[in-house]
Amino acid sequence: MATIVELPRLSDTMEEGVVAAWRIAVGDKVKRGQVIAEIETDKATMEFESFDAGVVLKLVADTGAVLPIGAPIAVFGKEGEDPSEALAAHGGGASGGDKPAAPRDERAPAEVAKAESAEAAPAPAKAAPEKAAPAKAAPAKAAPQSSADERIPASPIARRLARESGLSLSQIQGSGPHGRVVKADVEAAAAGGSGQLAGGSFSSETDVFGRPYISREDQIAAPTLMRRTIAKRMVQSQQQIPHFYLTIEVEMNAAAKLRSELNASVDGTKVSFNDLVIAAAAAALRKHPECNVSWSEEGAVMHGDIDIGMAVAVEGGLVVPVIRNAEQKSLVALSRETRNLGKRAKDKKLDPKEMTGSSFSVSNLGMFGIDEFAAMVNPGEGAILAVGAVADGPAVREGELVIRKLMRATLSCDHRVIDGAMGAKFLATFKALLEQPMRLFAAG
Amino acid sequence: MPELQIRQAIRDAIKEEMERDDRVFILGEEVGHYNGAYKCTEGLLDQFGEKRVVDTPIVETGFSGVGIGAAMCGLRPIVEFMTFNFSAVAFDQILNNAAKIHHMTNGQFSCPIVFRGPNAAAHMLGSTHSQAFDAFYAHIPGLKVISVATAYDAKGLLKSAIRDPNPVIFFESEVMYAQRGEVPDEEYLIPIGEADIKRSGADVTLITWGQSVPTSLEAAKLAAEKDLDVEVIDLRTLRPLDEAAIIESVKKTNRAVVAYHGWPYGGVGAEIVDRIQRVAFDWLDAPVLRECYEDLNMPYAENLENIIIPSAERILSALEKVSYR
Repeated sequence: MATIVELPRLSDTMEEGVVAAWRIAVGDKVKRGQVIAEIETDKATMEFESFDAGVVLKLVADTGAVLPIGAPIAVFGKEGEDPSEALAAHGGGASGGDKPAAPRDERAPAEVAKAESAEAAPAPAKAAPEKAAPAKAAPAKAAPQSSADERIPASPIARRLARESGLSLSQIQGSGPHGRVVKADVEAAAAGGSGQLAGGSFSSETDVFGRPYISREDQIAAPTLMRRTIAKRMVQSQQQIPHFYLTIEVEMNAAAKLRSELNASVDGTKVSFNDLVIAAAAAALRKHPECNVSWSEEGAVMHGDIDIGMAVAVEGGLVVPVIRNAEQKSLVALSRETRNLGKRAKDKKLDPKEMTGSSFSVSNLGMFGIDEFAAMVNPGEGAILAVGAVADGPAVREGELVIRKLMRATLSCDHRVIDGAMGAKFLATFKALLEQPMRLFAAG
Repeated sequence: MPELQIRQAIRDAIKEEMERDDRVFILGEEVGHYNGAYKCTEGLLDQFGEKRVVDTPIVETGFSGVGIGAAMCGLRPIVEFMTFNFSAVAFDQILNNAAKIHHMTNGQFSCPIVFRGPNAAAHMLGSTHSQAFDAFYAHIPGLKVISVATAYDAKGLLKSAIRDPNPVIFFESEVMYAQRGEVPDEEYLIPIGEADIKRSGADVTLITWGQSVPTSLEAAKLAAEKDLDVEVIDLRTLRPLDEAAIIESVKKTNRAVVAYHGWPYGGVGAEIVDRIQRVAFDWLDAPVLRECYEDLNMPYAENLENIIIPSAERILSALEKVSYR
C-alpha cells in the first residue's frame, strides 16, 4: 500500500503552508531524511526532510498552492503502484488546487474515507470503506521498519553520524559489544561510499538485526624470496621424502634443575631448554651417526660433522641457522651461539653461509605452548626433531601417579636412510641424556 | 620557579591571606603550638599570635560553630579539620548553618568561611578514617567544594576560597601533602569552578580530581604505551562544576571515564555521568564508566584496601573498555 506524504507542521504557529519547490520528481527513489521539498510557512521557507521512504508515485500538491497542515502533498510506494487508492483512502485525493482541503481532524482515516467517498464517484464509493482499512495499516507497516532500525544497537554518536551521512544502521555491521555499531563502524561505512565498505562489501547473509555481514576480498601477497624458498623446499620434502614419525616423552625435572643451577652459578649464562635439547641431540647423534645421514642418488651420505640446524621464526617466515660441530661445544658456548644466531636471524642479519649445510635440525614450538608436533625433514638432512613445551604433567613412577616436568619430542625421519629402530635408538639416547643431564658433561 | 610541597603551598596561601587581610584567622585542633597535624600551619602561630591562630579542643561541632559565627560577624575564618572524617561531627553546623545562613536571612548575613583538611582514604586508617566526603558536601546548595591535587592549584585555589563570600569546603589529601610542584613567587589566584586539563589527548576523556589525579596520569601513561591518547581533566572544583570543560572534551573524544576516591552510589562521578549523557548524548560512542571505591566500607587490611582504591591498572582497563580495545 502506498504512503501518503502530508504537509508537515514546521513551526508551532504554522496552520497552513505552501510547497514552494519540489526537490523530487515522479519515479525518484526517496530515502528517509532526504529533503523532498521546500515548504513555505508563516515564518520561513524550510527544507522538508521525508519521514518516509519509497518511490515517488505522484506529486499531489501544486507548487504555490496554500494547503492546510495534513493535506496530502505526495504519494510514495512501490514502483508501478497506483497512488489513487491510497489517496482515496486518505480522503484528500482531490486537493492540490487552490481549494483548501478539509482540515485533518481526529476522525479515524476510515471515517474520513467514508465521508469523502460519499462525495466521490458512486462506483468506488462502496469499495472505499474496505480498502480504507489497509490505509490505516500503511503507516503501521512503515513503523516496524523504523523501530527495527531503532533496535539495532548503536552508540549515540554512531546513530547521529549515520543519520547525517544518510547511511542506514541496518547496513552497518557493529564491531562493539553485542554487535553495537560504534563511531568507527559508521566512519568506515561512510568512507566506503554507499553500499561499499572500506575493505569489504556486503554479504548476502544477515545477522539477527537484518544487517548484512561484511565480505572481504582475497588479497594476494607477492611471495618474498624467503617464502618462495620455503614453498619449494617443503614441496620437495613432502613429495620426495617418505616421512615417518617417532614421539617420545622426556622427564625434564633434572634438566630444569641443572639449567637453573647453571644459570645461577655461571656468570652471564642463560641456558635455555632448547640449548639442552640441541646439546642432547648433538651428543645422541655422535653415539648414533647412522642418524646423521641424508639421501643422495649415489647412496646414503654419512655426514662427518654434526651440524645442527635450529629453526627460528622470523617476520614473514622462518630461517634455519646452523650450529656447526655442535657435539663438541660446551653447553655455555652453545647457548651463547644459539642466542647470537637467534637474534641475528630475527634482525635478518644472517649470512647465507650460516644457514646452509646442516645435517640435522631441531624445531621448538614449546614457547607457544605446543605439546607436540611433527616437523618436515629439510631436504639434505635425514631427520628433524620437533620439540614441544616443558610442562607439569602426570607420570607414573614405581606404580605411583606423580607430577613431573614433561616434554614431548617427535623425530621425523627420511625412511630412505633411517629406519624405525634407528630413530628409536637415537630418541632413547636423547631421552636418557636429558633425564640424566650430567651425562652431557661426560666425555665420549 | 621554586618547588613547594602541597603542605607548604597551603601554609603560604594562609600566610599571605592573613598578611593581606587581618580579618582572616585559623582555628582547629593542633593548628598552633604543634604547627598543624600535617604541618600546614607551620610558623603561623609565631608570626600571627594566639588571637589569629587558635588551638581548639577536640569539639568539631563547637569550633565549626565558632567559625560560622565569626564569619557572620564579619571575620574570615579558616577551620582546619584534622581530617574531614571528623567533620561528620560538625555536619549539622555546615549543612544547616554555614550553607543556609545567607538564604535564611535573605542576604542579611553571609558566611565567608573555609573548612579545610585532608579527605578520602590515606593508608590503612580503617573504615571510619578513610572516607571521601566529596559527595556529601557537593550535594549541598550554598556550599562551594574544592579538591586540589597539586601545590600550584592548592595555593591559588585556597587564596580564592579565603576571599570568597561563601562557605567553601577545601579538600586536601594526607598522602599528597609531601608532593612537590612548582609554585610561582608572585601572587596568583585560581578562579573557583575552573577545571584544568592536566594532559591533553584525543581518544578518551578521563575526568578526575584530588587523590585520583596522579593515579589517572599514571593510567594515561600506561594507555599511551598502548597507543591510546587520554585527556586528563582535573576538575579542581566539584561545586560549581566546570561542565563546559567536560563536555568540550567529550565532544572531542566521544568517550569518558570518571576516576575518583569515593563510593559509587550517588557520588560525584554519578553527577558527572549524568551531565555527559544529558548534554553530550549524541557525541557518545560508549557508555561512560566510573572507577572509584567499591561499594563497601574501607577495610583496614592493606591488601583489601588496595583492591578498593582505584588503581592505575583499573582505570586503564576502563579506558580500554570505552575505547573498544
